[in-house]
This record gives sequence, C-alpha cells and structure tokens, in this order.
Amino acid sequence: MRPLGAGGRAHAVRPYNAGRPWPRRSYNGVVSTPLALYVHIPFCETKCPYCDFNTYAAIEPLMPAYVGALTHEIAAWGAWLGRPPLASVFFGGGTPSYLPAPHLAKLTEAIRAAFEWPDAIETTAEANPGDCTPEQLRAMRAAGFDRLSVGVQSFDDGELRLLGRRHSASDARAAVRGARAAGFANLSIDLMLGLPGQPLDAWARSIDEAAALDVDHVSVYALTLEGGTPMEADVARGTLPEPDADLAADMYLLAQERLGAAGFEQYEISNWAKPDMQSRHNLAYWEGRPYLGVGPGAHSHLLGDALGPHGVRFANLRSPRTYIERVSAWEPAGVVSASALASAGAVETADALSEATAAGETMMMGLRLNEGVSDAAFRDRFGAGIAERFPGPVAECLSLRLLEWSGGRLRLTEPGRLLGNEAFGRFVAAASEASSGAGRA
Amino acid sequence: MDPAFIRNYCIIAHIDHGKSTLADRMLEITGTVSAREMQEQLLDSMDLERERGITIKAQAVRMGYSHPGGSTYELNLIDTPGHVDFSYEVSRSLAACEGAVLVVDATQGIQAQTLANVYLAIEHDLTIIPVVNKIDLPAAEPERVIAELGTAFGYTPDEVLLVSAKNGTGVAELLEAIVERIPAPEAHRDRPLRALVFDSKYDSYKGVLAYVRVADGIVRGTERIRMMATDTQTDVLEVGVFKPAMVRVPSLEAGEVGYVATGLKSVGEVRVGDTITTARNGSSEPLPGYGGQKPMVFAGLYPAEGTEFHDLREALERLQMNDASLVYEPENSQALGPGFRCGFLGLLHMEIVQERLEREYDMDLVVTAPSVGYRVLMNDGTVRDISRPTDLPEGGTYDAIEEPWLDVTILTPSRFVGAMMELVNSRRGTFKRTEYLEAASAKPASGEGMPSSDPRVVLDVALPMAEVIVDFYDQVKTRSRGYASLDYSFGGYQVAPLVRLDILVNSVPVDELSLIMHRDRAQSQGRALVDQLRRLIPRHLFDVPIQAAIGSRVIARETIKALRKNVLAKCYGGDITRKRKLLEKQAEGKKRMKRIGSVEVPQEAFLAVLRMGKS
Repeated sequence: MRPLGAGGRAHAVRPYNAGRPWPRRSYNGVVSTPLALYVHIPFCETKCPYCDFNTYAAIEPLMPAYVGALTHEIAAWGAWLGRPPLASVFFGGGTPSYLPAPHLAKLTEAIRAAFEWPDAIETTAEANPGDCTPEQLRAMRAAGFDRLSVGVQSFDDGELRLLGRRHSASDARAAVRGARAAGFANLSIDLMLGLPGQPLDAWARSIDEAAALDVDHVSVYALTLEGGTPMEADVARGTLPEPDADLAADMYLLAQERLGAAGFEQYEISNWAKPDMQSRHNLAYWEGRPYLGVGPGAHSHLLGDALGPHGVRFANLRSPRTYIERVSAWEPAGVVSASALASAGAVETADALSEATAAGETMMMGLRLNEGVSDAAFRDRFGAGIAERFPGPVAECLSLRLLEWSGGRLRLTEPGRLLGNEAFGRFVAAASEASSGAGRA
Repeated sequence: MDPAFIRNYCIIAHIDHGKSTLADRMLEITGTVSAREMQEQLLDSMDLERERGITIKAQAVRMGYSHPGGSTYELNLIDTPGHVDFSYEVSRSLAACEGAVLVVDATQGIQAQTLANVYLAIEHDLTIIPVVNKIDLPAAEPERVIAELGTAFGYTPDEVLLVSAKNGTGVAELLEAIVERIPAPEAHRDRPLRALVFDSKYDSYKGVLAYVRVADGIVRGTERIRMMATDTQTDVLEVGVFKPAMVRVPSLEAGEVGYVATGLKSVGEVRVGDTITTARNGSSEPLPGYGGQKPMVFAGLYPAEGTEFHDLREALERLQMNDASLVYEPENSQALGPGFRCGFLGLLHMEIVQERLEREYDMDLVVTAPSVGYRVLMNDGTVRDISRPTDLPEGGTYDAIEEPWLDVTILTPSRFVGAMMELVNSRRGTFKRTEYLEAASAKPASGEGMPSSDPRVVLDVALPMAEVIVDFYDQVKTRSRGYASLDYSFGGYQVAPLVRLDILVNSVPVDELSLIMHRDRAQSQGRALVDQLRRLIPRHLFDVPIQAAIGSRVIARETIKALRKNVLAKCYGGDITRKRKLLEKQAEGKKRMKRIGSVEVPQEAFLAVLRMGKS
C-alpha cells in the first residue's frame, strides 16, 4: 500500500507550471512524458436527465466482471507500454464513489502494479454526495485517492430534483465536511448554471455557498442540453422552459465575481482554484500532454517518437458488456505503433493527428486556460509562431477583442471568455482547411 | 383524302373528367391502337402528364374510322391542355379544329375551366358535341348535368350524349356524331400552301417539328418552305401524321392535320401561330395567328446544393425548345448565388417547369415566391415593364404603377357564396356578376349537404393578380371543401397605390427581399418579414438591426442583440475530437452563410422570407 500522509495535505503539491514542457524522456518510444491516467466507471445509481455521458443505471450485476476486465486492461497497457510513469490518476464516470470500496482498491492496486506511480501525484475520484459516508470516504483514502471531486451541482433542493440528482443540499455540505474529516486535503465541487427556470438569485445563493465552503477547487459548468436526453426532450416539448443564454451569461459573471472575492483564482473557462490547487489531470488535456483512458468509451492520446510527430488519439468502444468481452480477450503483443493501437484492447477508433489538426487543437484547448497559449512553446512544437500559422484567425480575434497578447502568450480577453467558441472555431476551421488542402495536394 | 371525309376536332374537359380515357377508347375502337398496345392515357406521353392526369403539350393523332353509313373517314383528334394556365395553347388547338367534344363528369358537373374553354370554342366557331361522361359511376347524376348544360350553354337534352369512356358505353355513338355533326374542313387544295402552326416541338433527329393544320394547298415531304412571320426558309425533311406514333406520309393536303419536320434547330424559328407556305409561289397572306403571349408570373430559380448553374442553364434551354412560353434571364442573388429570373404563364406552369427540371433533368432547385409583372408609367409618358422590385425607378420619376388584374370566374355551390365573397374582398377583389347555373332543382334533395341539393352559382369577380398567385386557389378549395372551381383570364392593368418595401440588415438593403405591394399591406407585411428574419438570423458579436422601409421611412424594426455566450463548458474525459468536430461543423455552417455587409445570414432565412406566403 502506498503510505498516506497523516492529516492535512497528503502530499506537497507541485507548483502550477502549466505550459512548461515536461522533461522529455522516451519510454518504449510511445510515452514521451508521464501519463495522465483516466479510469472510467460507467455505473450510476440513477441516470440524470441531462446526462449524455457513457454511463448506465441498473447494470450493477456487471460490477465484478467489469472490475475484472478493467484490471486486465490496466495490467495489459502497463505491460505493453513498458510500465511508464504516471502524472495523475483520475477516476471519472459515471460515479466512482458508487463502486464498492474493495473494487476501488483492487483497481488502484492494479494501477500500482502496472505503472510507475510516484507518491506525490494527484489522484482524484469523482463522488456523488449521497455516497460519501464516512466509511466509503475512509476506504477511498485508503485505496489511494487524495482528491475528491464532489458533484454538488446546486445548493437548491428544487434544482437538484430538477436535475434528477439523488442527493440534497445538506448531503452535499455533509460530504464536504466528511471528506475533510477523512483526510482529503484536495477537494473540488462541481456546480451547474443556466438550468431551465433557474433565476439569477437562486444561482447567487448556490455560488455564494460554494465560495464560502471549505473547498480548494470549484468547477462551474453551464448546462448544455444534449440531443437525446430526457431534459432536452422536455424543453423541446415545452414542459420545461428553455434555458436563457443571456441569463446564463449573467450567472457566469456573478460566479467570476463571487469566487474571485472568496480567493479562488480562475485558471480555465469553467474552473477556479485556490492557489496551487488547479486540477493537474485536467491540465494535461488543456496543455496537450499525453493521457491514457481505460474503460468503455475512454479516450487516449499517446505521444512518442514511434507514433508520429503528433501522436495517436484513440477511443474505446462504449458498451460496457462488449468492452468486458473484448478487453478480457486482449493479450497485447509486439511493438506499440499507430496501427497496433487501432486494434488494441477495446479500441474502436484511432487517428494519427496531422500537424494542422494538432495545431488547431492546441489552440482550441490551450486558449481555454486563462494564461492562454505560449507563442514560444507553440513555435517549438510547430516550427512557426501562432500568428504565422494562423494569420487570419489571430487578426480577426484580435480585432473582435476576443483574444489579446500578454507576455508572449495569446489568451482570451475577459469579455472573450464567454465567447470562447467564436475564437476556437476560427482556429480549428483554419486548421481543418489546411489539413484537407494538404490531403488533396 | 377528300376533305369531305375529314373531321378535325378536340376534346374540352376539366382535369379528371375523363378526356384522356375517352381518347384512349377512340384510338381503340378505330383500331388505331390495338388493345394490346394500349397504354393508359396514350396521348399524355410525358410522365408528368400521366401522373397528374393533365395534358401540357398539345398532341394530334390521326384515326381511320369506318362510319356505319359505309364511308371511311379520317378523324384528327387534337388533344388540348385542360388547365387555365394553358388557355393560350387551348386557343391555338381550337384554331386547328372545326369541332369540339365537350366532356363533363356526370358526378361533378360543369367546372369553371369548362366554362372558359367552351366560350373559347364558341368564339372560334366550333361545333360542340356535349358529352356526359362517367355514367357508369354510382354517384353519376346525368340528368342534373344535362340540366346544367342546358342552363349554361342552351343545349337540349337530346343533343347531349351519355358516355362511359371507362367501359366504352356510348363511344361508338359519339364517333358517329363527330362525323355527322362536325362540319368537314373548308379546304382549297388549288390555292398556294397555307398551314397554321398550332404547336411545335424539338426532336433531336428531325429538328423542330411544326404541328400544322393545312388550310390551303399541299405540303410535300420535299418542299422548300417559308415561315411567314420569321421569314425563315428551310427544306422540309419529311411530313407525317401521328398514329399516335410518327408516321411519314408523302404529303399533307388542305384540311389535314400532321407534322412538318423542318430540320430547324430552334423553336423560336417556328413560331406557334405562324403560317407555313412554300418558298416559291407561296401565299402572301398569312392565316390569322394569335397574339404573342406574355409571362404573367415571375419567380427566381436557383440551383440548390448539388446542382450546378450551367446545368440549370442547359436544362432551361432544352425545356424552352418545347415550351416557347417559358422565358428566363440570368440573375445574381447575393443570397442564392447565380440563378434565373423566370416568367411563366401562371402558377401551374411554374410548378410544371419546376417539376420537369427536377425530374427530367435531376435538378435540385430553390424557387422563390412568385410575383407579378408591373407597369410603371413614367413622367415622360413612357411605360416600363418591371418584373422585379429593384427595377422600380426612383420615386418622383414616375406618375403611377399599374398592376395586372385577372377576371376570375368561380363556380361554387350556392352555400359557399358567402365564403367566396369574403375571400375575394380580403384580396382587394371586386364583384361583377352572379348567375345561378340551374334553376332551383326540380329533383328532390338527395341528402343533406349533398351538392345536388344546392344549386351552383357562377361568380364573376376581378382580382389583382398579385392576390391570386399566392394561395388563392388553395383558399377557394379549402373554403368550399373542395367543391368550388376557378378559372381566370387576364383583365388588364389598373393603377394602384403600390410601394416598394425594402429590408435592411444592419443598414444594408437586401435586394432580393424587396417587395412591391399595396400600401395598406406594407406595415403588416414589413413587420412579419422583420420578425421572421430576427428569428432566423443568428446572433452576432454585435447588435444587428433589421429594418423594413419604404424609401427612407422605416416602418418596422427589430434588433438581434449581440451574442453574449458561446462556449462549450466541459471537456469530458479527453474527448477532444468530438469537441473539435463540433466546432468544425459550426464553422462549416457559418461558411455556408451569406454575408450581408458584416452579417452572416443563413440561406434558410432568405428562403423562409422568399417563400413567405407561398403555400
């Protein structure tokens, strides 16, 4: 077992150095830097009406077989990739906290056996407040988790019912207190704004309560009505009012104001953190560092000399049952390569990224961060500065005041933060044209 | 053939009253086509005609007929279009005949179109044989229809023939009547050739085929001929008749109907209504022709996705070879790109052209709402025809604008007269005359609400054409539960207080959204347009005002507020590809939008507006 820190912070948090390149070292030619590991837990007690994630209610009987298959996948990847080091571990879902503690422990043991797992790295589990009994929280700490991301969503019981959540506002408060008591030094909560019929003052109460809470990190997500979800159908039918985008904008500004006043620093469009408490795992996505996802529907992006200059992106198939079948029969062999990845384990799709696509994605993801994208780092990777590679989008976004230069970095302006897609879209469209042009040539 | 043994006739019937079936039976009984070869509605050779049960192009077929009296006759059946839009074609078919068979459905009675076409036939001095068809149907009311024919045209019951074209009852008697009642053509074979062109068609092997009725003289398959109006000379490739397939004959003589293969490449050189004569020793006096026909309804035709502009141009050129009434000119729309402004005889003509382009030429089209042509009376006394709003001259340079009016005949059961009048009034129409088509029925009512308990009424009204082309026909049908029918003819121009309504997006006028309309309608229409656009144009990074204006006076305004929020909240589990594709798709959608100044307007917004009011 990995030794636990005694009380307080479990480990010294590495200072936030987003964007600074990691020491480059090749593991087996396919892992250039430590990996962010994502573990998908597709189980939910109930499926929320707005959720279109790859999660399922009422498949609990699959749990033992699923954990077995997942353990196998973890072991197989670890062996095939040459036991690379990890940069962070994140259990998401679904509801990891809904998985009985012995299963969680079995999974972390498998990870430790298959990968080099440094002590000081961030290890997060998403949790539903209703699952956060003292026993479960202690067991999760014991299994190796040091950061909890609690899906609070709202401090208004009416809104929680609307969202189909099975917890109450008081459950959420208790979960946060309980997590601290169980030794979680790094706590995050999620909130949702822009709900159908949600008035600004109700949101103000939720965000104020969040700001006052003893947590280290807050994520604020605007509700997106995803096609095919019951909530979207209700809005389409008119049984729920359509969320008002302008009101959501006001709510967002209010969140910025209140969280800022409470000492949270915004570092990404939807994320605020106390100093040095940014989510390491999520930064890997935004900064374009490699990650491996295990479980059904999990996405990966491996970088390394053997995988072309911009690596390979791949995703597992989505059905838990098929996943169990496919992955249990998988015995990786041979050299890791782009083509071998395409047929590995439960992988369903795999793409080697073109330089143009990679450049577009670098902008799309990097601009989400408050600090933006470093022109120097961009030039190191792509051989040209941002404005050289994307003259049109840069000029347009600057003139529309969506973007600004600051200390050698291109970043969203304050008003541009709510209009991110307007900027991102211009970059990915230019990249897509460049890559299809290159494809034709 | 001796002209005394020739009969030239046509069939006048409302859509679905059985004209084509009757023609089929005639072809069968005369042995022109064997039952085995019989394909339903043989004369309607276009798929579209067969499907819609209407005739678009005139046809002519020759039948040999043995009269019970012992003589053999040559019957020339000239098929005519049934729809009002094609009344021009009807009149040119009529000019080639001495008689007409008037077919009325025994279950439906006389329709407005029938009235119009019968009057046309009477004007052409044709002998008319009234026929009540479909007497085999259980709902048939032949006595009632006979009574209607009496009231409307003065036929006595013994003049009317009862027929079932479907099972052949009465068709033999009808053929006898055709020979006995319709006069033989007056024909002078010794005179110089004069042949009336009543239709033309392009054939890729034989060039333009002129459908002719020879009035005087003889046309041989080796003749050098001259088109009198265009003064075009050509060597005839062949002459022939339709049986109904083309059959070559050595010559066509006075009184006969057939085709002349001209070898010419353009329908324009063989004008319908022109007279053909011989190049040498020809006639100097053309037959009375018909006045040229002007398009009445205009609409823009644009290639939609998947169709190329030059393909559309080619298709229109080919269509026009056979349809001289179709006119078009290139037009460039900032919203829809390059396309054509097309002129049609009427709405059905427009629909048919559209459908033929789509089916026969596999075109994907965007068709704008139809509009009418206006006449502008300029200060200097000249008159300008305009077919699009942006051509309206500057205010102050003209005295008045005239709009076309239609004389409209509505034939309706009397219980819908109120509803019809209400509709006419709401469309700026004026009432002219009412006539009951039958005296109060002697027959007892056959049931409550049944049409036979209700006398039918002819309403003569006048309406601005602009009010008719939108959805007037549908409204007549809806408000009369399908019982009323409608016919119209051009009724001249009238001055009206018309204005041009302009639409401005972010202060930039959008030409193709301009409309000419009655001043009293401008306010409500302007508001509706502006509101529609507000809902269809996406929000931008700045406020976008949408205005409707007459000249410099803004009569309606909406503002599309600047976009405040457009950002994907969550990047879930590293699925970056999905996010990127979503953004690419959004950008792709934006690229397809049209730019009006700095505003991106989706094509759907234009279409919705251009189609506004189109049913």
